[in-house]
Amino acid sequence: MSTDVQEVAAQAEAASPRTVTVKPLTLSTLLRLSLRLLWRDWQGGELRLLFLALVMAVTSVTGIALFTDRLEQALLAESANMLAADRVLSGRGEAPAEWLDEARSLGLQTAETLAFGSMVFSDNGNMLVSAKAVSDAYPLRGQLLVAERAFGAGVPIDGGPPAGEVWVESRVLPALDADIGDILYVGNAELRVTRVIVQEPDRQQGGMMENAGPRLMLNTADVPATEVIQVGSRVSYRYLFAGDASALETYAEWLSTRTNGEFRLRDVRDESSEVADALNRAESFLLLGSLFAVLLAGVAIALTARRYSERHFDYVAILKTLGCTSGQIMTLYMSIQAVLVLIAIVLGSFLGWGIHVLILRALAAVIAVDLPPAGFSPYVVGSMTAVICLLSFALPPLLSLRRTSPLRVLRKDLDDNTLGARLPYGVGIAGSLVLMLWYSRDVVITSVLVLAVAGVVLLLSGLSWLLLRSGNSVGMKAGSAWKLAMSATRRRRKQNVLQILVFSLTIMCLLILTLLRTDLIRDWQAQLPENTPNHFLMNVTEGQIPGIEAFFRSHGVEPNQFFPMMSVGVTRINGEEPRPQWMDDDEQSNVTERSAGGGEAGEQEVGEDGRPRRVSNRQVTWTNRLPNDNEVVAGQWWDENPQVGYVSLEDDYAERLGAKLGDIIEFDVGQGRLIEAEVQSLRSVRWDNMQPNFFIIFSPGTLDGLGGTYLSTALMAQEKKVMINDLLREFPTIVVIEIDALIEQIQNIIAQVTSAIELIAALVLVCGALVLLACVTATLDERFRENAILRTLGAGRKLILSSLLIEFASIGLMAGIIATLGAEGCLYYLQTEVFQQDFTLHYWAWLAGPLIGMLLIGLLGLLATRRVVNTSPLTVLRHIG
Amino acid sequence: MIKIENLGKRVMTSEGELVILKGVSLEVEEAETVAIIGASGSGKSTLLGLMAGLDTASSGEVILDGHRLSTLDEEQRAVLRGQLVGFVFQSFQLLPSLTALENVMLPIELKNDSQAREKATALLERVGLGARSHHYPNQLSGGEQQRVAIARAFASEARILFADEPTGNLDSATGARVIELLFSLNKEYATTLVLVTHDERLARQCHRTVRLVAGEIVSDERHGDSEPALAEAHDEH
Repeated sequence: MSTDVQEVAAQAEAASPRTVTVKPLTLSTLLRLSLRLLWRDWQGGELRLLFLALVMAVTSVTGIALFTDRLEQALLAESANMLAADRVLSGRGEAPAEWLDEARSLGLQTAETLAFGSMVFSDNGNMLVSAKAVSDAYPLRGQLLVAERAFGAGVPIDGGPPAGEVWVESRVLPALDADIGDILYVGNAELRVTRVIVQEPDRQQGGMMENAGPRLMLNTADVPATEVIQVGSRVSYRYLFAGDASALETYAEWLSTRTNGEFRLRDVRDESSEVADALNRAESFLLLGSLFAVLLAGVAIALTARRYSERHFDYVAILKTLGCTSGQIMTLYMSIQAVLVLIAIVLGSFLGWGIHVLILRALAAVIAVDLPPAGFSPYVVGSMTAVICLLSFALPPLLSLRRTSPLRVLRKDLDDNTLGARLPYGVGIAGSLVLMLWYSRDVVITSVLVLAVAGVVLLLSGLSWLLLRSGNSVGMKAGSAWKLAMSATRRRRKQNVLQILVFSLTIMCLLILTLLRTDLIRDWQAQLPENTPNHFLMNVTEGQIPGIEAFFRSHGVEPNQFFPMMSVGVTRINGEEPRPQWMDDDEQSNVTERSAGGGEAGEQEVGEDGRPRRVSNRQVTWTNRLPNDNEVVAGQWWDENPQVGYVSLEDDYAERLGAKLGDIIEFDVGQGRLIEAEVQSLRSVRWDNMQPNFFIIFSPGTLDGLGGTYLSTALMAQEKKVMINDLLREFPTIVVIEIDALIEQIQNIIAQVTSAIELIAALVLVCGALVLLACVTATLDERFRENAILRTLGAGRKLILSSLLIEFASIGLMAGIIATLGAEGCLYYLQTEVFQQDFTLHYWAWLAGPLIGMLLIGLLGLLATRRVVNTSPLTVLRHIG
Repeated sequence: MIKIENLGKRVMTSEGELVILKGVSLEVEEAETVAIIGASGSGKSTLLGLMAGLDTASSGEVILDGHRLSTLDEEQRAVLRGQLVGFVFQSFQLLPSLTALENVMLPIELKNDSQAREKATALLERVGLGARSHHYPNQLSGGEQQRVAIARAFASEARILFADEPTGNLDSATGARVIELLFSLNKEYATTLVLVTHDERLARQCHRTVRLVAGEIVSDERHGDSEPALAEAHDEH
């Protein structure tokens, strides 16, 4: 060090030390500056996409949450109508009074019903009816619709018939040659018929045999006078409960230790597997849709925030040269974000509310019940989504701003920041995970999504490796649009890989949702198509079949297949006793089994050898025609002239039974008589189609001479139902089970659910479009600069536009291929594990995915960058700097 | 006002260590105008960045108005810049989303001065842009943008002004008018001016010219015709 310099330094040291103190900006200065920057950035378009992404996040999540919240309540309410209650306790005997007292002490409403078959007489005739006595509080949910005359239009009425009166379904009156005001005789009671029942909420509940015949409803107070209920009578007691969900849960818990298996407390999901299935799938779909909306909104926020930050590096550098500290800069930017998110929350909540109202209006025709008002939680969910998205996606790039070197004002070539490169992704991924888990509270669906994203990232790593392998491109190769585009794609491979990742994820989300929606709706439509038979005919003898067929034809109804039916039990498989656990498994009990009272748990019998032997009776049939919705999955269906001694089993049932192809099964066919049959095929059966389905089908001839009756179905429109009276008059021994109300209710629920998922899919599509737009816009600056230079050097409009189209389209094509791969992988897991559907590859998606990617991204890219050729190169260069 | 002791700057590149500045020592008096001149890549902008506290040195020391920059962190250097230093850049560095008036108001507002609007308006009038105060930078010509930048630099009431190639992006006529304005305001406000340029004629308008070659000072020349101004300034000091 030179002497002069040492002296200078010494002088400086000797001088009184100067201190530097940070004067915080006053709140008003900060607010003024923040608002000004916010307003100017808004005017300049810098913040618009970020703001739009935030608003979309709040709107979609709030809208979906509000809609889901209210729809779920509506679906539960609609479903509760099927029970006329929230929960039903059913049994073959009377429940102890203390059980009902306990329910009332918990604040639950209660009502009771008794159902029994009975003959009813008028002065002119008689018929078998399905009688149901109801207490005064009945129904707790839903409403009875009644008319003042037979086949009249129904009007809602509170409560059931008062003591001394009966209400009947329309066709009872012509059958008994009676009219409103006449006296009917039920057992020893004389009751006046005062109204006609048009609709009864829980018409189909209880054993179907109890529902054989038209309904006659009376008050429980009149039951003793009828004297029809004697020891041994087949009476179904049902106790209805309604009230607060937590009180219902408490009651269910209290009751669970007391029922001893004689009574069962059920809700609609236990009661109707068809409805439960539709509800569960709809909930999963709505959840998935919401998660996609959150994920896509998050990606849009991440992209736009990143671009916003990138465009502000110079800004921050200037502020720093003017004396702004990092702390002040962060306060400034955080204030901008806070104001932005606040406005987005207010606007998004309002729009979310509007969207859910629009959705509900669109669904007004199918949502039959009054919706309870939505709670406050959907708004909290929407607001939290925006805040978490902003914190996890936008904060990291903003944080990296504070590290911007002020030296950038002198040297543009300085690396923007080192933090910005990796941290945002890490924090963003962590934030998304927290958000999805918090939102869904469903580890399975969240895991599927995470795995899918990981899969796509893995695929992309391979792709980027391939791109990197293709080597550096020398020059811009501006000779042709194709070469120019390809060289641009390679030059920007890092950004392109990121773009492809975002495009792939977005297209994947949209593909999953669209394909799942299509499959779900197709499944539901196939489950209960328009012409689903809505009446079961049971107890038909072989001799009655031609007469019944003729009867139907003469009334314009197409007769369906008649299935012979009898009850048998499995006693041995290949000489061994069957697995003990299969006997307790009756969850597959279906409409056929329910109709016939089959599918009951095993009973114990003693065999000829004196050993206890387990049997479980199933309703079985024999036919040489494979029933509808049955598919042979192993072995072979017998041909037109089958041999005696074969049996076909439903595949899950066979698995539970421990039986396989070629096994010899011994059946107890009644009165201790045993027969053997070889398993020739295994079938898959569609259990939810409300049609006759059988676990066990014998080859014709195997059960000959063993008796049995026939079962068939018929489709009868409401206006033709009165023909049942004539049918029963002509064939008095047959039983007609009416499931039209049940089918209509299920179809109604499915229609609601279908509309709901359509709308959610559409909302997610909008989110997806926003992400695509954000992603295309994210790389605009570089393209603008590059193309402005190209134009300055004499490149024509056509060359630049074609090259942009080719570049975006090839990125879209790659994204489409990866998205389709990811979507199929995801769908495989979702459909088999979450939605309980059969998975098949969606061949058209393999064409549509890449094609949509190519067209969509190509056009979006072109639209977003068309200004490149419409603005003078000088303006572009001056604007971008 | 500015003392530089044996200042060095080295950076690592893919081809090894690159020495940009080596052993640079310099002293600038208050109200003195110094031109740093040199060819491209001679290290003059790096020297300016180090003197202004925009970057940190690899070795040596910068003492700015008695503050040893090596003892200050970036936050403290930022505060010091706000209190002491103004800048005029070759590429103007105006905030594109703020109007001319708002750009000039910014440093005043950052000092929590409630008179920001009035002071900024007066300065814009002074640089002849009163009528264009509500225009955005991209609506102004290069010369106008640089005049706004000069108004902003003086708005902070800085005692030291760093100018990096202030006429580099301007034609000679516009450049001359901008320089005239810069020197006139500099004299008016008695500011210390450090000016980086490769323009010999511009350099001669300063009190001193420091010539840099390959990161080293090869000459430090005082101009006779500027002596009175310097002496005057020294006397005042």
